[in-house]
Amino acid sequence: MVLGAVPGRVAVLTDALEQFRALGVTVRVATTFDPAQKIPAATELAEVHLLPTAKELGPRFGRMIKRANPGRRPWLRAQRDPWVRRHAKRADVLVALDAQALHTVWQLAQRHRRADAVYGIAPALRAVEKRAADPARYRRPRIATVGPSPVVLASATRSQTVDLAKRVFEASTGQKAMKLSPLRWFWHRAVAAPGVPERFRGRIAKRVHRSMHLAGHKSSANQLALAAQGRLKSATTKGHLLGPIVEAELNQGKLPEHLMTVAKGQLKAADGFLKKRNPGKAAPHVLRAFDLMFHRIAHFDGVSSPLAEDPEGFLAPLHRSEVGKALATPRGRRAPAEFPPAGRPHRMLFFTGLNDNFVGSIISRYEAMPGVEVRRLNLVEESIRPVLSNGRTNLVHHMLAGTSKRAEEVQEAWGDHVAWADTVFVDWCNLPAAMLTMIDPGTARVIIRLHSFEAFSWWPHLTDWSRVDDVVFVSEHLRDFTLAAVPRLRAPQGPRTHVLTNAMELHRYAAPKPSADARFTLGLIGLSSLAKDPRWALAVLRELRSRDERYRLKLIGDDLRASLSPAVRAYVAQLDAELAELEPSGAVVRTGRTEDVPGALTDVGVILSTSVRESFHCGLVEGAASGAVPVVRDWPFFAGRPHSARNLFPSDWVVSTPEEAAERILAVTASEETWREAGRSAASHVLSTWDWSVTQKDFDRLLLEPPAGTD
Amino acid sequence: MNNGRTLWDSLKLPRPRRSGSRPHMIYLAIGFPPAAKSCAYRMRETANQFAAAGWDVTAVTIVDEAWEREYGLDHTLAAGVDSRVRVVKLPLFRDDLETDIRSFTERRALAHKDYLADLRKQNLKVFPEPVFGGWRPALEKALLQIHRERPVDLLVTTCAPYVNLSATWKLWETHQVPYVVDFRDGWSVDVINNGEAFPKESVSGQWEIKLLTNAVAIWNVNEPISRWYRERYPELAHKMRVVRNGYDASSIPAEVHPAPEDRPLTFGYLGALNLPVPLLDAVLKGWRTARAEDPALADARFEVRGHIGAAWARGDNAHAELLKAAAADGVVVGGSVPKAEVIDLYSRWDAVVLMVTGGRYMTSGKVYEYMATGLPVVSAHEADHDASTVLSTYPLWTGAVGLDPAELAGAFRRAAAMARTADQAEREKARAEARQYAREEQLIPAVREVTELVLGTGGSSGAPQASPAGARVLAREGRS
Repeated sequence: MVLGAVPGRVAVLTDALEQFRALGVTVRVATTFDPAQKIPAATELAEVHLLPTAKELGPRFGRMIKRANPGRRPWLRAQRDPWVRRHAKRADVLVALDAQALHTVWQLAQRHRRADAVYGIAPALRAVEKRAADPARYRRPRIATVGPSPVVLASATRSQTVDLAKRVFEASTGQKAMKLSPLRWFWHRAVAAPGVPERFRGRIAKRVHRSMHLAGHKSSANQLALAAQGRLKSATTKGHLLGPIVEAELNQGKLPEHLMTVAKGQLKAADGFLKKRNPGKAAPHVLRAFDLMFHRIAHFDGVSSPLAEDPEGFLAPLHRSEVGKALATPRGRRAPAEFPPAGRPHRMLFFTGLNDNFVGSIISRYEAMPGVEVRRLNLVEESIRPVLSNGRTNLVHHMLAGTSKRAEEVQEAWGDHVAWADTVFVDWCNLPAAMLTMIDPGTARVIIRLHSFEAFSWWPHLTDWSRVDDVVFVSEHLRDFTLAAVPRLRAPQGPRTHVLTNAMELHRYAAPKPSADARFTLGLIGLSSLAKDPRWALAVLRELRSRDERYRLKLIGDDLRASLSPAVRAYVAQLDAELAELEPSGAVVRTGRTEDVPGALTDVGVILSTSVRESFHCGLVEGAASGAVPVVRDWPFFAGRPHSARNLFPSDWVVSTPEEAAERILAVTASEETWREAGRSAASHVLSTWDWSVTQKDFDRLLLEPPAGTD
Repeated sequence: MNNGRTLWDSLKLPRPRRSGSRPHMIYLAIGFPPAAKSCAYRMRETANQFAAAGWDVTAVTIVDEAWEREYGLDHTLAAGVDSRVRVVKLPLFRDDLETDIRSFTERRALAHKDYLADLRKQNLKVFPEPVFGGWRPALEKALLQIHRERPVDLLVTTCAPYVNLSATWKLWETHQVPYVVDFRDGWSVDVINNGEAFPKESVSGQWEIKLLTNAVAIWNVNEPISRWYRERYPELAHKMRVVRNGYDASSIPAEVHPAPEDRPLTFGYLGALNLPVPLLDAVLKGWRTARAEDPALADARFEVRGHIGAAWARGDNAHAELLKAAAADGVVVGGSVPKAEVIDLYSRWDAVVLMVTGGRYMTSGKVYEYMATGLPVVSAHEADHDASTVLSTYPLWTGAVGLDPAELAGAFRRAAAMARTADQAEREKARAEARQYAREEQLIPAVREVTELVLGTGGSSGAPQASPAGARVLAREGRS
């Protein structure tokens, strides 16, 4: 008898052993676990033997066991056990006592064809009774029962040959072998040789690549991977092979050439699992693909972004993949949003707690407005926070599977609030917004505001836009870009889109600039992300100072943190080197973070926007409101598009190069009068266009009037 | 899987009987004697009653070896089959119950669960029934062959397995043979979980509608199931009949007496132990408590008879483990009992324990037999159960107390008291209550109705003769 797992029913087993004993049957049991510990009662009724353990059989066997199908593992141990061989040869009945033992008994039965081979205790008893009833029949030797089955002989020969081939392959592709340069040379040629079947090429390349890495020949390993991938067709294998190279480059802060190859490989692997209806296994691959496609090195920590350059082309592999289509599947809502009936307050629900920087004025306005009832769903509250935990993974799983327990939890935690509301406003299109779309919003109108960073992230791709009524962008160019990156937003079931400027209380910044010398001070507000590109401001400053040394630069805000990424670290190093040159002479002043921005702006005559990417740049507009003359770099991520900084601001504010910027500054600051006039004109423009007293009417139209169409 | 296709060519059907003008019917009854299954009793009586009503009956089942894999055979059951009934045994086997490892492929030996899952998937492609679906081609072929040999005037098909419906439909589709569906526990009704097993739009749902629409009559084992079908298919309500399982008088002792004071009490359970494990566990806990608390039960025995598990799990499952562990509490496991010996069992038991799964749609066949014994009945099932409805007028019933061990302990104690104190008159009253459920009483009107519907009034040789319950069976078994 063979036991492949600890039996759950020891009493049944011991009872059966007693029955066999009563019938005069000698029973021997081979187990894969320690019988003395797990089935002590059975050891008194039969000879119970533990199969040799992996530890006893050596490390090579251990590796083999690890790789083997779990069903085959007991046999691999039994095959090497003289006790099993000796007793199986003499056995009349071979019994598998559980499903894990089936393969071992099947193998023994192929080798010892005289014996009955059965599954279960009752069939074993029946076989014993049958033999006892006609012993003569079983004593007669028959050709069909002599020696092992020819099938097993052929199989053994085949497996030994395969085993030998495997050993040779393992030895020649292992870590030790990779220390020999001729072998490295050989495998370099072999993986790139024409005519090698795809599956072998992929498998060999992966193993050799890993071994080379472990042997310390990393550059050789990378060359091999690059050579092999050129010949490979499978996106998954390519991705697998190039993954470590891409990973290493990202860790060094470089944008990898094969970033999308690896991402495509992950999407392909996810597609494979989705086809097998296994969203649980597809989800990690989707997450990995997202991590790569929206990596900060690619879009946030550089002065360019492949996504900004070509949103449709860059994300095409995602949109074309099966998982991309599954994520984009609209689940819709049972009932359309209903405008609140007259005769009761308009109920507004705001999601708050995670980042309320831009929503405070909006909430305050409607809290104070008669006829509007405001409720806040504080996402950091104890009762709500757990719903958000591990949110991205849960979202992906939910969208691939079409349903999930997490959606039920969201319904439980948020459902009552959403059911209460006529309008739900979610600032930022990130996790909470996406999670809200896991549930049917009933008749509530759902409005999501997307600022800027979200458009370069996975969140819009994890949001079910068929459950969103309106999307608010803070500028036209962001709307253009997001609609290109997320085609679902343009679908018939997609939301209406609007452009509404941030709620800014700009009149707070209007203050006199007492000194005429203020016109020589350039200001830059906000430095905490690389997108602000302060080095561009230094280039402008250098250009100005080459003409007039009175110009200086005031940097307001926290320094850029080098720890954010290797790319940021490299940028900060260059920035620091430049600052080290300019700061001692007073050409650059860093104020650090200040709560009194209007105060800090009183001696700033020119306000700069040097960013590579902005959705609106509140800091610039605040500076302009203070009377400083705005000079705006034509943000490179959007320059040349139908909408860009050039359409957002008066055209004379916008420049393309540091030289152009210097020219404009020199012109407007040529005299105190021209400077003050340009400053007054800019302040008047921003206050009459973007001050909250003006823009709040746009919000009223959006929130308080029945929805019309896309603005 | 072995769905009979390879063995089919060698199949030789028994020669059809020539009985002059007697009409010919096929009784498609997989589980027909000698299969040791509880449905075999109903099948035996159905075939016998149709034979008595003037039909030449060809009962179609599967070969005896196939039953060896499941619960085995009871040849005493076959002895009670009317000699005029021709039995055709098809070489169909349940591959999922195979225990001979030599017949396994290496793939099956390596991943048995996956193999079984694949097998079910393959079966479902043929017919929407995971275990038996693959039998469809063989069953269809068999019925057509029987019809070719001697034209069939009526087909009575009994489910489960539901794959029988496919062959029934084939015969209707090709030869317009009228048919009766003996649905017993129904199909679209989930008798275990009290609800819908599948919607009308599903593949199974489509099969059910199609089959029932053209049936001559539809039989069910109790009123709740029949009501379910009447409500589900109001347009077919006129075809629905309740044909209860009833009991076989041949299994019931002529009389029972109160248990003498000087002998310990014996409680008994008879039936396949395919109950939910928690139910059995609750009963055993209740038994243990009752035995510990009540001196009248201190040395009492609880004899459990019936099949435990099938194939490799025969006698080796969680039920077996629980029962063995309860040996210290006087629980005795005795294996299955041939039908002919059931009468002896009831003769020496003092009370019976009715362990049944399901709820309001489930009655079970045991309940009628238990009532007929005149023994006190301990109910171990959900309170909202059709067995409660049947037992509600039975005087020696301890009541439906649900599955709480403490309540069950009380029920055991009440049954013990009844076993000692219920006098002859009370027992006779109890037995009289059960008489309405004699199996023949249930089947005779149903068979008569079908005969009249198919052949016109009276049938070929008149209506079946009503006889004292079980007399003919007793006579055939030589026990009268």
